[in-house]
Amino acid sequence: MSHSTSACKTSTSTLPEQPGVLVVRKHHFLVRWSHWLNVAILLGLILSGISIYWASPVYQHKPDPNTGNFDVAADIGIWICAHVPGQHHYSSPSDWIYNHVSLGPGMLALALRLHWLCAYLFMLNGMVYVAGLVRGGGWRSLLPRWTDLLDALKMFRYYVGFPFAKLARRQWLHPRFNTKYNALQRAAYFSVPVAGFLSVATGWEIHKPMQLHWLAALFGGYNAARVWHFWLMWVYILFVVPHVILVFADGWDTSRSMIVGWSARVGRSEVVGNEQ
Amino acid sequence: MNNEGKGDIPSTGVEPEVKSVSVKKRQSFFGERPLPAIEKAPRVLRYRSRRDFLVFGASTLAALAGAGYLLPQDTLTRLGVLQNMNSPAMEWFLNKALRIDDDVAEALYSVNRRVPTYTKSQITPLKNNYNGATPDPGYIPAWKLTLDGLASGLNISLDIRNLLTRFSVHEQITRLVCVEGWSAIAWWAGLRFDDLLRAYPPMSQAKWARVESSVNLDASGNSDPYFMSLDLATASHPQTLLATHFNGQPLTVDHGAPLRLLVPVKLGLKNVKAVTKLTYVAEEPRDYWAERGYSRYDGI
Repeated sequence: MSHSTSACKTSTSTLPEQPGVLVVRKHHFLVRWSHWLNVAILLGLILSGISIYWASPVYQHKPDPNTGNFDVAADIGIWICAHVPGQHHYSSPSDWIYNHVSLGPGMLALALRLHWLCAYLFMLNGMVYVAGLVRGGGWRSLLPRWTDLLDALKMFRYYVGFPFAKLARRQWLHPRFNTKYNALQRAAYFSVPVAGFLSVATGWEIHKPMQLHWLAALFGGYNAARVWHFWLMWVYILFVVPHVILVFADGWDTSRSMIVGWSARVGRSEVVGNEQ
Repeated sequence: MNNEGKGDIPSTGVEPEVKSVSVKKRQSFFGERPLPAIEKAPRVLRYRSRRDFLVFGASTLAALAGAGYLLPQDTLTRLGVLQNMNSPAMEWFLNKALRIDDDVAEALYSVNRRVPTYTKSQITPLKNNYNGATPDPGYIPAWKLTLDGLASGLNISLDIRNLLTRFSVHEQITRLVCVEGWSAIAWWAGLRFDDLLRAYPPMSQAKWARVESSVNLDASGNSDPYFMSLDLATASHPQTLLATHFNGQPLTVDHGAPLRLLVPVKLGLKNVKAVTKLTYVAEEPRDYWAERGYSRYDGI
């Protein structure tokens, strides 16, 4: 630390008047790094994944007699261009989805290379995350418990009622918990690593269906594993949207804690001592 | 596992240390612990926060630069980046990643591991994937399989009758997996590549086969030769066939009459139709799809 001697002197002299701030250690260094790295890696996996999906869509129907189109994602693009204002003159409606939520159509080789690069990084990053959870002891806060069933309902009721209470200007109290996360948070933060593990397992299954055919059997066969892999992507998307909204709603301390590691919300915590 | 209420100690900061230790002892291994609180000088906290924000901010910029560097030019153009960003260094980097993945695939391969086989009721339709540009069957009557790079130094030509009378025919119902993601379970019959390797041994230093095909025209009829590399370790797998029959009938032009390579431990693109020539070589030969950005080994 870059203390100058004079700064040291002032800090010792002002210590009685200005005691240190009490903060809690919230996120381990490795957890924070893997969290932010995951933003980039998951984005890369999803964008390249949808480009790969283009080559052989999981959801197909009999070719349309007029257009020859068989891809449900292309149908959605065509619908968007027909009904969404400002999209009527889009040049290739059947590619709309691929042009907007993937790297693009018709680039399978490149998409595969990027997907595998991101997949190896995702696996490495998952190990970093687990190491951070173990070293920081954070894994204990993620474990589900029996009381979660009822507590999750309480939280659900709170979120559902929140907008109505705001509109009616009624007081609407947040349920109180003396744990790091509430039951819904815990369910979400526990599900994401599980989904990550399943994505990796189904990904290997699709990548090596012959050498790892026992994996395919676990997920119900090669084609079923592709469907699993596709819907696991939606787990991340459906997680990220409320996650980002709620983190911002929860306040600056919560967002900051994922960067700096500490939180100034010293609720139920244990004093370890004065560090430095 | 619930320990709520058990470790409920008020965190005033003046708690005697002995008490927190005794609480810890009662906790189960899986029980959630209170977050450790630490006292820090505001100045230290400010300094550390500033450092962390700068480091994470710089990393975000680096990630954006990295993404811009790795994204395909088509994607960048759509995002409004008109300048050509793709460089040989990026190609090198992505190829490096691909080679690592190929090495993993090669490490996973075992000549003793059989791929799953299926029953006839599990057979699914197999499209020919020519997308309407099925080749003219005119090549079939004059078709011959040529072997080159043999230990004998000779150049051997075999017709389909030679192959079918000299070698025993094996049947298998296996899955063919395309790089695009679709797959099909089909019933194949043919001779084992391994039997051919035993009957006509390659030269001792050979590690690869260069496979050529009579399917050499693109959809608009222009010359577009197909050539593919196959490692001999995979060629000698007991389920690697030189298939002559599909669903109990001799191969049609759709599926590579009169002889196609059936190598279920590789992606469909290595399952070359209408094989005309096998050349055994020491160095890895060129590969049609590897030159178009796909992997080389393609083991699945």
